[in-house]
Amino acid sequence: MALIEIKNLTYTYPGASKPSINDVSLKVEKGEFVLITGPSGCGKTTLCRCFNGLVPHFYQGELKGEISVAGLDTLKHHTYEMAKHVGLVFQNPENQLFALSIEKDVAFGLENNGVDRVEMRRRVDEVLQQTGIYDIRERSPHEISGGQQQRVAIAAVLAMEPEIIVLDEPTSFLDPLSAQKIFEVIFKLNREQGITVILVEHRLDLTAKYTNHLIVMDEGKIRFEGDPRQILSNEETRLIGVGIPKATLLYQMLKKEGLNLNNATPLSSEELADQLLEALKVE
Amino acid sequence: MSVFDGLKFRKVYSPIHNLDPRMKFAYVIAIFVVAIIFYQVIPLLVLFFMQIPFVLLARVQRQWLRSLRGAAFLAAFIFIINVVTTYFTSGYTFTAINIENSTAMTLRFIVLVESFSVFFLTTSPDHLGLALEESRVPYEFAFAFTTAVRFVPVLAEEAQTIMDAQKARGLELEKGGLLKRIRNYIPILIPLIVSAIRRSLELAEAMESRAWGAAKKRTNLYSLKLHKGDFALLAITIGILALAVYAHFNVAVPTVSSLLGF
Repeated sequence: MALIEIKNLTYTYPGASKPSINDVSLKVEKGEFVLITGPSGCGKTTLCRCFNGLVPHFYQGELKGEISVAGLDTLKHHTYEMAKHVGLVFQNPENQLFALSIEKDVAFGLENNGVDRVEMRRRVDEVLQQTGIYDIRERSPHEISGGQQQRVAIAAVLAMEPEIIVLDEPTSFLDPLSAQKIFEVIFKLNREQGITVILVEHRLDLTAKYTNHLIVMDEGKIRFEGDPRQILSNEETRLIGVGIPKATLLYQMLKKEGLNLNNATPLSSEELADQLLEALKVE
Repeated sequence: MSVFDGLKFRKVYSPIHNLDPRMKFAYVIAIFVVAIIFYQVIPLLVLFFMQIPFVLLARVQRQWLRSLRGAAFLAAFIFIINVVTTYFTSGYTFTAINIENSTAMTLRFIVLVESFSVFFLTTSPDHLGLALEESRVPYEFAFAFTTAVRFVPVLAEEAQTIMDAQKARGLELEKGGLLKRIRNYIPILIPLIVSAIRRSLELAEAMESRAWGAAKKRTNLYSLKLHKGDFALLAITIGILALAVYAHFNVAVPTVSSLLGF
């Protein structure tokens, strides 16, 4: 069985006239790096909330279909049980840190689970180091930059040793450089520790290269799913409002003009640069 | 923003800051009790000067003086009321003893203010929250307290942003009479409250996602341990209390006026 399995999921928020997620089916295997994108209001955030049971436990509303995450039915298991398996990182870094020092914040989930102090200290120090914020562990959340705050949020979910980390537009409040650093941290977790990552992002320029499982959502439905090289070179994807990476666009333009590059569609500037260099050498 | 600066906390290390907040609180309460037991100037003066080594050790003189200055108006008020009422009750005369008693009342107030301000100036909210938790206050309350402190600077910043935005749209805050000025702040308050509510929802969501309420028995990353300094403070506290109670029953405290020979 896949790590995450969703079958014909339809969900309507209380008081809403139409469903935010409409007949979504999805499978995510262990160790995958899944990228979800789509225009605002397409249901990405709602889908994230489904992974750890915030929908429907926290939000109520009407849910149809089946969800199983890490072998648990989220309808039957509360968010605090799911939290051990699924870590959710939110968009606004400021509103997910509540303690007066960073290490205390990172320990929050462990404290809630009643982990004993020695073990807690070990895990907290470990994740602080993994995310590169060990040196600022005694500072207060409001004294550090947005990028650092988001690393704290990642460290905080990481401390609970989840199998899955879901990040809902974690960089939309950050500048490009901090964003890139966050992506690198996330990618490293996926690569080195085999943590399954589900990343919701608009910045495909920086992230498309990490994934081979891209999901494009629109109006509560999954419109495209699969190989990013194929999906991103599709004209329809652009029309939905997905920000196609510039390298991919340039590649398409060059191809239209008859420049024949190595066949695979590039997802990042580096890939395109390599292809161009190769083409120039041959000629 | 300067209004909110006083509410920001900084991590400071000093022998006094490192003391156990529970011990410090016990000390403050002891001072409080002693200040109530005595109504004479001399012991109250002693109490007043006894705080100064703490202030100096903690290196919070500047903030401490500021809080005393804040209390000055109220102190003057207490003094005048006392003098005036004793003037009427003692047959329309000013006596040295009356003035002295009024001074003692004022001193008592100042001693209370100063000892509490030393406590709050030298105890980080983090420590205070921890002390609340360890004295078996339900965790929800301790959490609410630390979170409130955590969000003070955030909300202050947001209030500033909203003020700037509304001013940019032509809102004039410093215009009109008192009532009009108060009304001017409505366009600041409403967005501030709305966004605070929205923020609290996001916060609740984040707490849920981090296993809030998972285990019956919560653990804590930090623990309060009593060190040498804490025992010393405890000894001082008990000493002061014992001495005060003994003096209260067995020693006739002279008044300043009798010493001066009035």
